[in-house]
Amino acid sequence: MTQVAAPATVATSFDGVTVEAAAGGPMQLEQRGQELWAEFGDPDDASLASDTRVAPVRPRRIRRQVVMITGSHNQQIFWYTTGNSRVLGQLPAIWLTAEQTWIPRRAAIMAPPSAAHHSETGAWNGICLSCHATAAQPRFDTPFGSRPIGEQSADSRAVELGIACEACHGPGDTHADANRNPLRRYTLHFTRAADSTIVQPARLDSRRGSQVCGQCHSFWEFANAAAEREANAHGLPYRPGDDLAATRFVVQPTSNLETAAMREFLAADAGFIRDIFWSDGMIRATGREYNGLIESPCFARATAASRTLTCFSCHTMHKADDDPRPLRQWADDQLSPRAIGDAACAACHTMDDAHSHHRAGSSGGSCENCHMPHTTYGLLKTIRSHQISSPSVQATITTGRPNACNLCHLDKTLAWTADRLAEWYGSARPALGADEQSVAASVLWLLKGDAGQRAIIAQAMGWRAAQDASGAGWLAPYLALTQKDQYDAVRLIASRSARTLPPFRRDQLPRGSAALLITSDGTFDAARVNRLVRERNNRPLVYRE
Amino acid sequence: MGPGTTGTVDYAARHLRVGWRALLVFATLGLILESLQGFKVAAYLDVSNETRRLMWRLAHAHGTLLGVINVLFAFTLKSSSSPPPAAPRISIALVAATLLLPLGFFLGGAWFYAGDPGVGVVLVPLGAVALLAALFWIARSTRN
Repeated sequence: MTQVAAPATVATSFDGVTVEAAAGGPMQLEQRGQELWAEFGDPDDASLASDTRVAPVRPRRIRRQVVMITGSHNQQIFWYTTGNSRVLGQLPAIWLTAEQTWIPRRAAIMAPPSAAHHSETGAWNGICLSCHATAAQPRFDTPFGSRPIGEQSADSRAVELGIACEACHGPGDTHADANRNPLRRYTLHFTRAADSTIVQPARLDSRRGSQVCGQCHSFWEFANAAAEREANAHGLPYRPGDDLAATRFVVQPTSNLETAAMREFLAADAGFIRDIFWSDGMIRATGREYNGLIESPCFARATAASRTLTCFSCHTMHKADDDPRPLRQWADDQLSPRAIGDAACAACHTMDDAHSHHRAGSSGGSCENCHMPHTTYGLLKTIRSHQISSPSVQATITTGRPNACNLCHLDKTLAWTADRLAEWYGSARPALGADEQSVAASVLWLLKGDAGQRAIIAQAMGWRAAQDASGAGWLAPYLALTQKDQYDAVRLIASRSARTLPPFRRDQLPRGSAALLITSDGTFDAARVNRLVRERNNRPLVYRE
Repeated sequence: MGPGTTGTVDYAARHLRVGWRALLVFATLGLILESLQGFKVAAYLDVSNETRRLMWRLAHAHGTLLGVINVLFAFTLKSSSSPPPAAPRISIALVAATLLLPLGFFLGGAWFYAGDPGVGVVLVPLGAVALLAALFWIARSTRN
């Protein structure tokens, strides 16, 4: 959600508030009537080029009016006028909705502490505007990012702030004109015919319909520099109902990794694929659900339009009148009432209770918990993968992506999962190392995994279903350990999960559990824990959220 | 025969009866609408039910106003020595308007299509024509 900043739209008070948790020193907030102001360290001060969390610096202080807000459900990000044309800058701290607290902006991004300071000035105009406003035009004098932002100017415009009707239904002037005629409207009501004057995404074919969502919920790039220049001047050319691929390069490593365009992107940025996809091409960053959808067998291998998975199989952008859920609950993930529980899957798949090998109605018996595990990360939390898949230990070994079984059975080893999958579904047992056979998979990921894997496990440890399946008594020490992680995002998730646990009691530790690396006297098996931490994948990870 | 009576029909009494009963019914509807508002009933207050809210408020307002018009017409008849020749058709038109206008609005809000009222709203223009005809005949009969 994008809103004009005002006392009524900010989720917290600006009235004489000092925010210590801000890069570049404390941030002083002030409310002047309906205006919001902030004094803070200038994110564009040259001295910040050497700033990291490890070695912070104090830049010159500036006072600016806060004029725009993005976000609402998870966090609020604040934008200020820079004094340079319509270029906006970003306050160095954001408001976390759930925690009701401020955190440094850089802490909200999955990035290593050694990452150098990165100014977000101009990002609203050059990046955010396209999807956080309707019919937007960045209108930079030179392409955003091509020169230092202080040397650029922008005359950015949008028809409406936020996602309005025309973002999904396309231009509406013809529609509005035609439907001034009540006879036309009532004819359409009675016949239930499609209105040819407007795009109705749910009536488009499955690919085109989902591309309406994919225009923002995908990882894409401009096909070439000319396309970028054109979008800069006149906005993105895609309109609902168009073929998205005609004007964008939708990144799909499973099919376009070898293209000239992809080679060019990878040459410019080695992390172009690595920091947003698992190695088998499954998207791992939140907000790119279209990439997951088009790789799903329910979409890619569907043989009939009526049995093809689309965004609208599960989601609805307009809460149905007969949906009894409160607006806030529906708005959390905008699920259609017909997609709650297993209903969306059951529209095509008929499975008996034996299929899941879990009790009917239990967490393990739910389609989504096995086929859409929480392996996608963004906005300081994990969400379900939108690429429908089946649990596979081989995929876990190959990609490092936690599998659905071990995300719930946190106390079990990969070998245990391989045995279950072989026994129940005939899956081949992959070759496993000694640790994979003897140590709980969640513990391995938490100690050895990269920051993304650690975040996924830290959140799984706060998941009630996983706590019920695995026991909660042993989780506190691991979450305490994770609260010392070098990545802010991982620490924050671990803190959230720790708050879901009952008070820690040492006598409830599963003493002598080799898989959990807990000795018979109720302490960590220090030698093995330390060895696994030393083997940690410390590759700097920067999620492209 | 008293004032407002033509033949065996006492029009003044008829419209006093219709008017006060309409006031009772549509003032009660107003109370019901206030209750729906007070208790935050979603079927009335949700954003998606804006059409219903508008239609029912129009039903309440038009019904109440038509009740008053009926009472005024009854007093108009009583104040004249003899009812106008057009009294029979004025009476029919006024009673028709009193029924059709609020009923059309009410039905239009009971079942509706997003921003458009339900098909029951077709009663509204019929009622409006009846009301305008009645007002025209009343105005013409009082020109002297």
